[in-house]
Amino acid sequence: MSTGWRTLLLRIGDRCPEYGGSADHKEHIETCYGVLSREYEHSKDAMFEFLLQCADQLPHKIPFFGVLIGLINLENEDFAKSIVDTTHANLQDALHNENRDRIRILLRFLCGLMCSKVVLPNSIIETFETLLSSAATILDEETGNPSWQPRADFYVYCILASLPWGGSELIEQVPDEFERVLVGIQSYISIRRHFDDIAFSVFETDEGNSPNKKDFIEDLWERIQLLSHNGWKVKSVPKPHLSFEAQLVAGISYRFSPISCPPPTISRSSSEIVKGQEKHEADLKYPQRLRRLHIFPTNKAENMQQIDRFVVEECILDVLLFFNGCRKECAFYLVSLPVPFRYEYLMAETIFSQLLLLPNPPFRPIYYTLVIIDLCKALPGAFPSVVVGAVHALFDRISNMDMECRTRLILWFSHHLSNFQFIWPWQEWAYVKGLPKWAPQRVFVQEVLEREVRLSYFDKIKQSIEDAAELEGLLPPKAGPNYRYHSDEGKEITDGHRLSKELVGMVRGKKTTRDIISWVEEQIIPANGAKFALDVISQTLLDIGSKSFTHLVTVLERYGQIISKLCPNEEMQLLLMDEVSAYWKNSTQMIAIAIDRMMGYRLISNLAIVKWVFSPANVDQFHVSDRPWEILRNAVSKTYNRICDLRKEIQTLKKGLQVAKEASEKATRELEEVKSVIEIVDGQPVPSERPGRLRRLQAYADKAKEEVVTTEESLEAKEALLSRGLEESKELLRLLFKSFVDVLTERLPSISADGEVPNLRAGDPNVNFAARDPEATTMEVDNENGADNDSQLNGANKKVGHNVGELEQWCLCTLGHLKSFSRQYATEIWSHIAMLDQEVFVGNIHPLIQKAAFSGLCRPTSEGSHL
Amino acid sequence: MASLFKDPNKLSAYRDRRFSGTQEEYEATLQASTTVYVGNMSFYTTEEQAYEIFSRAGEIKKIIMGLDKNSKTPCGFCFILYYSREDAEDAVKYISGTMLDDRPIRVDFDWGFEEGRQWGRGRSGGQVRDEYRTDYDPGRGGYGKMVQKELEAQRELVDYGGGAFQPNAPPQFDRGDRKRGYGDSYRNDRDQRKRYRNDERSAQRATDSDSKRDANESEKNPRFREKGDSDEEDDDYDKRCRR
Repeated sequence: MSTGWRTLLLRIGDRCPEYGGSADHKEHIETCYGVLSREYEHSKDAMFEFLLQCADQLPHKIPFFGVLIGLINLENEDFAKSIVDTTHANLQDALHNENRDRIRILLRFLCGLMCSKVVLPNSIIETFETLLSSAATILDEETGNPSWQPRADFYVYCILASLPWGGSELIEQVPDEFERVLVGIQSYISIRRHFDDIAFSVFETDEGNSPNKKDFIEDLWERIQLLSHNGWKVKSVPKPHLSFEAQLVAGISYRFSPISCPPPTISRSSSEIVKGQEKHEADLKYPQRLRRLHIFPTNKAENMQQIDRFVVEECILDVLLFFNGCRKECAFYLVSLPVPFRYEYLMAETIFSQLLLLPNPPFRPIYYTLVIIDLCKALPGAFPSVVVGAVHALFDRISNMDMECRTRLILWFSHHLSNFQFIWPWQEWAYVKGLPKWAPQRVFVQEVLEREVRLSYFDKIKQSIEDAAELEGLLPPKAGPNYRYHSDEGKEITDGHRLSKELVGMVRGKKTTRDIISWVEEQIIPANGAKFALDVISQTLLDIGSKSFTHLVTVLERYGQIISKLCPNEEMQLLLMDEVSAYWKNSTQMIAIAIDRMMGYRLISNLAIVKWVFSPANVDQFHVSDRPWEILRNAVSKTYNRICDLRKEIQTLKKGLQVAKEASEKATRELEEVKSVIEIVDGQPVPSERPGRLRRLQAYADKAKEEVVTTEESLEAKEALLSRGLEESKELLRLLFKSFVDVLTERLPSISADGEVPNLRAGDPNVNFAARDPEATTMEVDNENGADNDSQLNGANKKVGHNVGELEQWCLCTLGHLKSFSRQYATEIWSHIAMLDQEVFVGNIHPLIQKAAFSGLCRPTSEGSHL
Repeated sequence: MASLFKDPNKLSAYRDRRFSGTQEEYEATLQASTTVYVGNMSFYTTEEQAYEIFSRAGEIKKIIMGLDKNSKTPCGFCFILYYSREDAEDAVKYISGTMLDDRPIRVDFDWGFEEGRQWGRGRSGGQVRDEYRTDYDPGRGGYGKMVQKELEAQRELVDYGGGAFQPNAPPQFDRGDRKRGYGDSYRNDRDQRKRYRNDERSAQRATDSDSKRDANESEKNPRFREKGDSDEEDDDYDKRCRR
């Protein structure tokens, strides 16, 4: 056997050449243990480290590592004892550093060690009880802080999640104590608050949440109870220790010392706002890992036990977590989990639910794009058709999908298709051309095509939809500039043409910006006015920079000052954006890029962009195009990116300052020490050190001092920038929300006399269906029962026309974006909530606006509303 | 995250010989760099296409297209500069190996753009890899430069003037063997692209003396106006843009 022990450890449980292609787990363990014991004396320290690392990063193989440690324990007790002690220290650290994944995985590892008789079952019970009592304390108004329920829930979740990996041993070995733990969990569940995550569900209906929907803890608890009724039998968890039971019982089991949990975070105040902020902070710290999305009807998806579904989901999420950045390994482990059943549909649902996870997935959406591409390649016979099915199912429900999720789906889908030659059965969607231009299905297809063209080019995409020629009408126009002062023979030469030509000449003649500015001020403004000047200058400069992104950047860098001089206020900046969108009317991408760069060079303020997006021409586009939203998203995210960058830089500078100060003190001290050594020469006190060295030390000390001063200066400068940035962001939020409230208030149907809130989806057959039967809120998260109805609903939904009126659709769309912005920037909004409450969410604000904004913040709407 | 299979410190097997420092310095620079190198691009891929895909990994600061040092046209690589290190990391992790313009592109950390690095380093002006290639790659100017020269020489022996020589056109006998998508339809498709990308005014402006040149240019990159294509200042402008 030439394979090294490391490789054998990594590959254990996999059907792979290292183990001769065998899938017999017993054989794997014997082979691996054989090599481990042969090499033991030589590399036990390395093995120790590596085993712990494996258990940490390949948690779906914990049962195997547990058995190996159990076998080593038979010969080398100290080794296993140290594993237990180190695990204890690691768990203790993880609890205090709030390292969620580590806590969860270490509890599973403990179960694995217990199964192999390395850890005493009683001490696991103790660990569970400590976590449970900490959870209960957090919920207590007096001793804890119920705003931090997410942490309490997380502890309980970790206990529950470890039970598939050790429940059957616990019930066998310590049945009474284990029952006590389960009773404790039951009572915890009964005192905790139900988690209402309506703001985070991918699909919304006008009913919102159905009252019997279970949150993630309630759902997992139900699965575990079911598991306990079934005698703790889990197909998805390998039980290699059973084959080695006879040997393992001879090993010494160690006690896992008691752990301590961090004390509950005490509330700072009892005000509603502070509580909301704390709850938001806790939600951020302990986010929900998965919001299960039921995409496929139950007759199509794999039939498996509820608990197996949970275990496989966990394994998939762990592979996604630990193999992020290792494409090959990630795809390999995703398709070869050691479970005795197929799970492609479940895998697709899990990955899509991550891609669409709100408020944010753990990784950038583009990661999941890559994973889906790789899975299509790894399972060419099975996975592509599953993806196609998922897209169709999601498309059928697109009108109920959260706006943010729609955007992510569009970006993913276009990118995915670009990796598969843009092949898609478009004819199945050709009917959307016949829907009104605001119908969500139609907008979806149109935006996918727009993104496809950006990733490729017009003719290519046109060709890709030739089977569905109707859809050509939804293609974006062929990109290309629209230059107003294009000199064309036979066309009348106007002032604009003449001046534009003159400007081109000046640029070509390398005239300075200053020269051009004075030319503008002398030759254009007096005769034609500033607006006309802006028109000619911006059109001409845009044309000079039209060849590529780099050309645009160069023009703005070089001649931006001319524009800036012409656009000193928001009014002119709005005109500038009109000019940009006129010049690039055929390219949404170039409009977005140009505006983004102009904001970067501070030619346009973020406030001006918000105003422009909320100007009538754009507001009319809200429900039929992503164009204004893309520009708005860019502007807001750019503002916050800058703030984040500044915060990081300040952090670094502060560290640098600390270092510089220490260095300076040290240098000064050294200099003083040397200076203080005095000699008497010719009756005069003279430093005994050589003058050369003194000079050098003096220079060091000066330089170090200088370093401190410059660092301090740049820190000051950055801090000034940050406070300006924060002020700007506050203004931005104020204007953003005001603008949303204004346009929505103008258009939302008013509340009826008896106080009933209008139902914007009244015309939508999907919703009426769902509203009649709350059980049928299909594809809702965490609703296993919902899946049963999927099949009929999918059938009923197929290709129904769109019956929501234009105004209603506009309102739904705009409310959806409002919700999405407030969810995305919840942290910033919470820090300015008092200002917003005072200035924006005041008076008789329409309940639908308040609902949208507040649900994004997970904030309860004010009393008296009927929501 | 996973340290089991990948050494997080090993960033790139490629060592740029233009980097003046030691190997350690090179690695340290890669560790901190916010620039990525993108390779195996089609000559036809535009900055805007690159922008669309690479902006999905984070906000882009700059794009520098790699150009053939003789023709000043894209030669199949570029540098993307991000604002943040994490974004550059995500680009390397998630975009490398995926398709752009139907080609699997390579994305690697780069030690940072410097003036001069935008030019191809091959003898003929493009990238070195395009000198010696023996395959026919329509996205990268047909055959490799050496093969092209050889074919040209053969052609001159047989062809006594007459038809204008097209160095990039594959020889007749190869047609049947080419893979789907690499055939005539593909090439026609590229020609169509030229018609729309080359804005109409340059076509309209083409005088009689220009038309001969235009015919010769049908094989050139349709998405990039090049030297002499329309206005003199464009060339000048290009040079300034790259600076």
